[in-house]
Amino acid sequence: MRFTISREKLQEGLTAVAASIPTKTTLPVLSNILVEATEKGIRLSGTDLDIAVSTEVAADVEQVGAITIPAKKLSEIARELPPSPVKIASSGEQRITLDCGRSHFKINGLPKDEFPSFPSVKFADSWRVKSGELQKLISHTSFAVSTEESRPILNGVLWELRPEFMRMVATNGHRLAKMEVPVSSSGAPQTSDLIVPPKALEQIRRLFPADEELEIARGENHLGFRSPFTAVYTRLIEGPYPNYDQVIPKDNDRVAICDKIALASALKRMSVIASDQTHRIRLSFNSAILRFSVQTPDLGEATDELPVKYTGDPLDIGFNAAYLLEILRYIPTDEVRLTFKAPERAATLEPEGWSEPGKYLCLVMPLRLVD
Amino acid sequence: MNADVIVPRRILLADADAFFVAVARMVDPDGAGREPLLIVGGTAESRGVVCSASYETRRYGVRSGMPISRALRLCPEAVCVPVPRRACTDMSHGIRETLGKFSPLVEAASIDEWYMDLGGTEVLYDNETLAETAHLIRTAVIRDTGLSVSIGGGTSKLVAKLAVEHAKPKAHNSATGVFVVPPGSEAGFLATLELAEIPMIGPRFQERLASLGMKQVADVLPHSAAELMRMLGEREGEWLWERVRGIHDGAVEPHADAKSLSRDETFAVDIADDAGLAHELASLAQRVSSDLRGEGLAARTITVRIRDHDFRTRSASRTLDAAVMSDRVIHAVARQLLTKLRAARRVPARLLSVALTSLSSHAGADQLALFEAQAGREVETEKDRAVARTIDRVREKFGSEGIVMGGALGRTEENGKGADSHRRRGTQSS
Repeated sequence: MRFTISREKLQEGLTAVAASIPTKTTLPVLSNILVEATEKGIRLSGTDLDIAVSTEVAADVEQVGAITIPAKKLSEIARELPPSPVKIASSGEQRITLDCGRSHFKINGLPKDEFPSFPSVKFADSWRVKSGELQKLISHTSFAVSTEESRPILNGVLWELRPEFMRMVATNGHRLAKMEVPVSSSGAPQTSDLIVPPKALEQIRRLFPADEELEIARGENHLGFRSPFTAVYTRLIEGPYPNYDQVIPKDNDRVAICDKIALASALKRMSVIASDQTHRIRLSFNSAILRFSVQTPDLGEATDELPVKYTGDPLDIGFNAAYLLEILRYIPTDEVRLTFKAPERAATLEPEGWSEPGKYLCLVMPLRLVD
Repeated sequence: MNADVIVPRRILLADADAFFVAVARMVDPDGAGREPLLIVGGTAESRGVVCSASYETRRYGVRSGMPISRALRLCPEAVCVPVPRRACTDMSHGIRETLGKFSPLVEAASIDEWYMDLGGTEVLYDNETLAETAHLIRTAVIRDTGLSVSIGGGTSKLVAKLAVEHAKPKAHNSATGVFVVPPGSEAGFLATLELAEIPMIGPRFQERLASLGMKQVADVLPHSAAELMRMLGEREGEWLWERVRGIHDGAVEPHADAKSLSRDETFAVDIADDAGLAHELASLAQRVSSDLRGEGLAARTITVRIRDHDFRTRSASRTLDAAVMSDRVIHAVARQLLTKLRAARRVPARLLSVALTSLSSHAGADQLALFEAQAGREVETEKDRAVARTIDRVREKFGSEGIVMGGALGRTEENGKGADSHRRRGTQSS
């Protein structure tokens, strides 16, 4: 294997693959990056066995071949190299030489055969989705996944494919985010429910330009996403996703419409005094005024007020302020519409006056108020 | 006060002398009170361990933590009595109360050991020495409770802990019940000790240090911090360098947060049948959940530990989505875990325990969950919490036996006779 590549192209490829390389692993080859020189250029790949990323970058290949090299060391070297063409050549199965300007490196690697093969996903049966639509769904929902190991199913984002739309749902059992967009994809399986780890979705959000068409295909227990130059593979999470539709309230009859930024500012002010553990704040809705209050033993108390449009009976309800603030960050409009039924029932948050095609809904369960 | 002068800290450790033995004698002056050779921890037939042994018995080699059967082989004349639990708790509170009159900062390190911080009390005690104040405290405890304590003192909790061993009056020494290491002489005091005496230097660390030629504190002192770090690694090297000089800045914390709560039961006779174990489990789950609520806490992780007749110990645990505190949910999860453990190995068991970790304040259980109705029995509902609160109120009025779980009723007598049970509250993070 022998090729010459620009320092920028090498860095670009390494950055794309870096996120899939595990920082700690018991299998040494996983800390390595697979470098394959082909007639088209070079392909860099990394995997932590849950996800795999592979990307092609332009290079001047003199001799084809493949080897694996410690990813972290190669990235560190690439970062410090002078702005000159980088010449990389294998010397034997387990070592490369790297020359750039007057710098010279010899790096030990591992034979390419030790690198795990990618999951078998047949792109012959693939369907196509506009990358930007997928990214919109991902960025509005994946924040809500659970990070706890006690219920693995909630560690994934539910991706529902339907004939007219596709939808993503994520929840940690206390709050939930759901978004759907009309389908402009082609060849999609009519109906399919996939539970995808958010780490893989994050790569999809990061690696593909918004206007690119992605090819998506499903293997036995894996999903593959591919553009002309880059591919992401991920393991799917198995098991039935909880019936989220059942917990979405249909009869919330108290409705408030608030300015998003003013609401977030007030919540941030109240959070200063809220308990570090529960972030408990009290919201009291009464005609045109939303009153905030917080009391924390040993610390103090605070109140604030915000004019709102409110219809329904007066309501006192408690929330974890952090949950509300997080959702407000993703609401795409200036005004937010909140609905409630009772102090111990789920509240909903939706964008008010959203002109884009699609539906976005977030749920939060309240915190009990202690008097 | 001149800010440049560092005022040495004034820390004491009060350790009740042969606490369980003393209390056992106090509650039964005509029985245990007359026995010089006394072991507290269970009856001769039971299979518990020695909780405490009288000084006379210790001469035969009897030590705390030893199985009672072995203690009796060493000292066949000894009389064994069970731990008078209620009295021990009451007396422990009594000592704590007296100590609280001397300093607001009292930390219970265990049922019979308390750290006190007397910093800033110099003027209050007419600038007398820390040793003089310690004698005052000792006299007050004996007067108020009838129990004696030994008190060690110094500039850190570590030094106070090591000093208390020199304070205990024994036949062969002239100790007065108080031993205070004056500020500045910590290194000299520690230099006389073995490394094994320093808390946290366990058998494995001792072995490692011995292989480097270090057995006494004096063996470590010549090495610089850098040398120790090179030999033992950065963290442990620095830790040891500080400890052998008596440096330890741990504060006396009156309300150290519990990291774990557990209840265990060693059975008088091995229990072989699932029903018998299920019954014990119900009782343990109920007791530990009551402890949990008593501390104002909720827990997310439930662990069941079983020790089989051949001393093989196995455990299973489960972490829930939300913190719980009700008897029903803790019992339901514990039962699933026990079923799993029994399915893997169904042999007679000698010990069972239920432990709760991932603790948070009650408020942790205030966050309502979306999927309550769907997830089945291990999710705590508002009804569960209401029932738990009611149970607590009934027990407050009628005592801990005022209301018990159906599954925990009845068999306690036959299985529990002579059994050895423990309540534990752990403040160390693992």
